[in-house]
Amino acid sequence: MASIKDKLSRGLEESMSRRMEREADALAAMSDEELFSFAEYDEKESEKTGYSNYSYWGSTIRMFLKNRGAVCMLVIMLAILIFTIIQPYLPGQMDPNLVNADPERFIPLRNVPPGADFWFGTNSIGQDLWARIWTGTRTSLFIGFSVALVEAVVGITVGVLWGYMRRLDFLFTEIYNVLDNIPHTIILILIAYIMTPSVKTLIFAMSLTGWIGMARFIRNQILIIRDRDYNLASRCLGTPTYRLVMRNLLPYLVSVIMLRMALSIPAAIGSEVFITYIGLGLPATTPGLGRLIEEGRVVMMNAAQRYQLIYPTLILSIVTVSFYIIGNAFSDAADPKNHR
Amino acid sequence: MVKYLAKRVGRSLITLFIIICVVFILMRLMPIEGYFKNFDKLTDSQIQAGLKEQGLLDPMPVQLAHFFQGMFRGDFGVSHSYRENVPVTEILRDKLPVSVRLGCLSILVSLVFGIPLGALMAHFKGRFADKLGTLFIVFIQAVPAAVYYLFIQMYGTTLLGIPLLFEEGNVKSWILPVLSMSLGNIAYYGMWLRRYMVDETNKDYVRLARAKGVSGSAIMFRHVFRNAFVPMVQYLPSSFLNTVIGSIYVESLYSIPGMGGLLVTVIKNSDNNMVQAIVLLYATVGIIGLLLGDILMTILDPRISLGVKEGGR
Amino acid sequence: MKQEVILSVKDLHVKFRLRGRELYAIRNVSLDVYKGESLAIVGESGSGKSVFTKTFMGLLDANGYIPSGEILYEGQDLAKLTREKDWQKIRGGEIAMIMQDPMTSLNPLKSIGEQIAEAIRLHQDIRGADRVRARVMDYLRDVGISEPERRYKQYAHEFSGGMRQRVVIAIALACNPKILICDEPTTALDVTIQAQIIRLLKELKEKYHLTIVFITHDLGVVANIADRVAVMYAGDFIEVGMAEEIFYDPKHPYTWALLSSLPQLGQRGEELFTIQGTPPSLFKEIRGDAFAPRNPRALKIDYLKEPPYFQVSPTHKAKTWLLDPRAPKVDPPEAIRNLKNLEVVYR
Repeated sequence: MASIKDKLSRGLEESMSRRMEREADALAAMSDEELFSFAEYDEKESEKTGYSNYSYWGSTIRMFLKNRGAVCMLVIMLAILIFTIIQPYLPGQMDPNLVNADPERFIPLRNVPPGADFWFGTNSIGQDLWARIWTGTRTSLFIGFSVALVEAVVGITVGVLWGYMRRLDFLFTEIYNVLDNIPHTIILILIAYIMTPSVKTLIFAMSLTGWIGMARFIRNQILIIRDRDYNLASRCLGTPTYRLVMRNLLPYLVSVIMLRMALSIPAAIGSEVFITYIGLGLPATTPGLGRLIEEGRVVMMNAAQRYQLIYPTLILSIVTVSFYIIGNAFSDAADPKNHR
Repeated sequence: MVKYLAKRVGRSLITLFIIICVVFILMRLMPIEGYFKNFDKLTDSQIQAGLKEQGLLDPMPVQLAHFFQGMFRGDFGVSHSYRENVPVTEILRDKLPVSVRLGCLSILVSLVFGIPLGALMAHFKGRFADKLGTLFIVFIQAVPAAVYYLFIQMYGTTLLGIPLLFEEGNVKSWILPVLSMSLGNIAYYGMWLRRYMVDETNKDYVRLARAKGVSGSAIMFRHVFRNAFVPMVQYLPSSFLNTVIGSIYVESLYSIPGMGGLLVTVIKNSDNNMVQAIVLLYATVGIIGLLLGDILMTILDPRISLGVKEGGR
Repeated sequence: MKQEVILSVKDLHVKFRLRGRELYAIRNVSLDVYKGESLAIVGESGSGKSVFTKTFMGLLDANGYIPSGEILYEGQDLAKLTREKDWQKIRGGEIAMIMQDPMTSLNPLKSIGEQIAEAIRLHQDIRGADRVRARVMDYLRDVGISEPERRYKQYAHEFSGGMRQRVVIAIALACNPKILICDEPTTALDVTIQAQIIRLLKELKEKYHLTIVFITHDLGVVANIADRVAVMYAGDFIEVGMAEEIFYDPKHPYTWALLSSLPQLGQRGEELFTIQGTPPSLFKEIRGDAFAPRNPRALKIDYLKEPPYFQVSPTHKAKTWLLDPRAPKVDPPEAIRNLKNLEVVYR
């Protein structure tokens, strides 16, 4: 180690002294007369000195990668995502809805603790918890991603219309005020109560409120694009609108949309758990994480069966916490104020 | 200022009117068994007679008009399956006090812990205390409440020997529900106060106060905290009312005989009139909360009274 | 003319850590501030004027630090102060500051009276609510705010920009400082208001026996208020002298360029003079004369070796090879040779 360090520092010293020598040579090589003669003036050269090689996306990615925790979470998240997709095709996986029975005595294998046959044990009617958890994670993640996507698409569309059509601004604002005034949980409960529970209706009920915030945000950004001084200045210089949007709006927008999507996924999963608890969730044949947690809750006071609550909550917590942290870390990294 | 407030109140009333109409119409889309006690045992003619008696066969505008008339007299119909033919208002009157008592206690706990949490985190920004607090907030925000409530109940009951279910006379049985209801608010207050305080810290007037020789702690409390608390105040009535009216999930978990638990019960029983009344109550409280928040802001922030609202929310 | 030195900066360096790199903001700077003078520090944006004065008050941003150098004030080396407690004695009470933007430098939720009173309570031995209040009224009157009783209770948003700046000045005065740093105090204001604020500062300087350090890029303002001028470029003072010397006998090509760009010198029908190019990146090492790449008549040595200070008069020095006896004779641009004839500019 020491020798490498020595070498490095020696190398540094050498290069420094070489440079000083070079300068001294340059000074010595020229006579006073030459030294004090006029140098050639290059206008381009004068413009070049203040150049800064700053790149927005480069800095954003660098800042994100600096956040070790978030990168770690991203890796875990991707691993879970990939696993939920390929799990059914792996060998030796059971049907999540199959009630396992003892082949000799034909009685269901209820509440079998985790072991070699059932990695996560079985539930209170004898279904394989391992298979149910991954199926449930898949369902919950699907709901989460769908809700985030619907919110983003509807939110951006409405927001753009809201921002661009000045005449409709008043109308949209009033609609926004009405919708935003109603507690979102109540809307969710009401819609879930009225409609038959299914993955589709849950996605619908959950997306019904989330897009409002997004639309409002996009609208404000568009007004800023229209009216902020630096954008006005840009426009006066003849910058076309699409370029304004690409350079000034998009980077900021992408980061906030990513954050909102990252946060609405754990929120959607949480809502699913809640809605299942109050009896308006998915049917038992399409288990989501909410259903599994609800099944675990029923037996949680029995210490021997507590694993039925702990495994699904563990997976759920890993998923929600990693989305939350990745989203926040990305939005911090995307904020130019943090690029130092 | 009066003009602004009048406008603001008017807007809330319009919102409320729209919500009542929408909820009412949506509820009419529900299967009709929610209006009867023993739907399965009734004959067709009995059902038709029942519907006619309850006015459910009238055209929608007429039904709506009837509903509004009843509402102004304080009549929200009767319960069908939860407690047969008992007026909805009477049931709610019994349930509300429990929720309010529990809610007030929980809000008190939230403020006592949440405000210092945010202030300390902002003061020690980037240091250990801040990171610890952030960890707590991230956990509470990222893990769905529905999940950590269960763990509080499970371990609180087994490790601390606290009763599983709520009994009004037993003070110990209050601990877990109040704790569950407070955690979210503590994290919420802490997070926003920290953020607002950090925002204020970067403003020029704080720099001027520093240049004036004001000490760090005096700047934090006399300038930053005071100014950061004003935008928080806007959200306090909402969160206060929402907590006071009862946490749907917590009350149901601990079998607390309050409003929130009631909603879960009547949903499971498909008692349409009850669901409608409780949903409307929650919506109204939500609207009043936001209204009070805005009014409080106009009182506290001298800039708003002149309509020079800088920033806004 | 030998004056008492109140603040003496010796070989000061300031660096910032930024995006994983080092920004070298102040490069080996020395300057004396004399008691009772008004000194103007002139330079382009980003030349380091503000950073330089912020070091006097320990107000550098958290990522800035002083690797070496001294700032001597009343026998104390301010560059060595680290504890907040020690700084609090200096800030306000010894050295006070007026910032650029009066629209944001006042607390929006405290009445302006309270904000002035806070400074009095911190730095003056006046006790009792009534006496503090009376003192606040005095300051409000001194900075030219009429009806102080009514104004005391008002909030910042009820004042115009110029009035807010007067309040900020009142706060600075209420600290009872010896040195007042004015960081571009008129930049954000209308031209007519600018003149009023400058006049007010001149009056207050006499009344309160202040030493004023004025930071600006506006040479018109400099001509109006400064006894002495220090020209800053890329984190270094390239020319320092009495105001008359800088305006009538500038020596450094950068000072020439600055003076040439005065709009008052523009001829009808001709384009105004602008300095070509941009200041050097402070992330990079600067070799030779920092201004050389932008100087159309730079010497070869300017690119190779940093010039030392050449003393022009006992009060006037400049850092340019043009003052070396071996250098060719280069005359200042014609426009500024006639500066004397332009009454607008100086006093």
